[in-house]
Amino acid sequence: MTDCGYGNVRDALPDYLNDRLDTAHRREVESHLAGCDACREELSLLRTLHVTMRRAPAVNVDAIAAAIPAYRAPVRRGWATPWRVAAAIVALAAGGTSIALLRSHASVQREDVSPYVTATRTREPGPAPQVVAPSTRAAEVPARPAPRSATIQPAPTRELAIASGSIGDLSDAELAALVDDIESLEATPAAEVESAEPLSVGAQEGT
Amino acid sequence: MTDVAPTTDERTDLDLVARWKAGEQRAATLLVERHASALARFLASIGARADVDEVVQDTFVRAFASIDGFRGDSSLRTWLFTIARRLVLDRRRAVRRRGEQVEVQETDVATEYDALDGVVAEETRARMQQAMAALTPTQREVFVLRVSEGMSYREIAEAVDTTEGAARVHYHNAMRAIKEFLDD
Repeated sequence: MTDCGYGNVRDALPDYLNDRLDTAHRREVESHLAGCDACREELSLLRTLHVTMRRAPAVNVDAIAAAIPAYRAPVRRGWATPWRVAAAIVALAAGGTSIALLRSHASVQREDVSPYVTATRTREPGPAPQVVAPSTRAAEVPARPAPRSATIQPAPTRELAIASGSIGDLSDAELAALVDDIESLEATPAAEVESAEPLSVGAQEGT
Repeated sequence: MTDVAPTTDERTDLDLVARWKAGEQRAATLLVERHASALARFLASIGARADVDEVVQDTFVRAFASIDGFRGDSSLRTWLFTIARRLVLDRRRAVRRRGEQVEVQETDVATEYDALDGVVAEETRARMQQAMAALTPTQREVFVLRVSEGMSYREIAEAVDTTEGAARVHYHNAMRAIKEFLDD
């Protein structure tokens, strides 16, 4: 038994056998079959196999149908199911607690601000944080002001600058203290208390 | 040449499903009548001889229980074949876990095609049974779905969890193997 080279026709023979071709394809297959012994042989073999395989074991249709329950539409729940409401309450409580903790932490940070260094955060680029040299601080800067009203403001930038004088004017001890303060700035949390205006810190203790 | 004409059967199936969902239990019975024999043939061809009736029932119960998951991308019959095949595989895995032998014997396949009422000569029928039994399990699955049920390669690929190309290769390899068997 040889195979025909027209693979498309051979591929469609089971569809032809089961009457699953549209009219145009059926005619095409029939036209080919009229002149191709190999495909006629293969179709004959498929018919024999088809008959052989069509014999099915008996099944009890009534029993199977009786086992099928009536249709039950899926239950659609609204948004406000009890567990979702509970989850929303927990989320809100956690959020409020976080804000309170941040404010408390920021307040502590503000009290720890170095007398040398102040950092300013504003929405608009504003005056840079100032580092005041000890030698000029007393003359230019008033005493440390009373407690200031503090606000938390996200700011795009944070800058550090020398307010006046020169680093070269600082003594070794003052310079070391300034370096310590700068290093402590790097550890400042991202969310911290900011003053409405740049803070100018008064004289360092002992100077 | 691979295009297959749409059948009214598929539209009828969807209509019956809609009627069953609307509360007409008789529609479920009609669907069982339309597909139970084809499922039984397929199950017998893949060696589920002993419990064909049970697997067919489980297939319908599962299908109707999850009918809302049927998207209609394939025909209902293809979907039923997919479920039936998975049930058979699950049962075989369960049997393997119990350490029982589950290899499909050639006689399991051959004896399903008894009593052909004289349509095919006895000797020819016996040769066909032997040729089918000599196929690999996958070749046999694909060949039965293609020849006996007239499924497209796309439908077969979905039913036996493979690709269209692989289904086509399995079919032609099966056809070649049957011819070689009969030529010997």
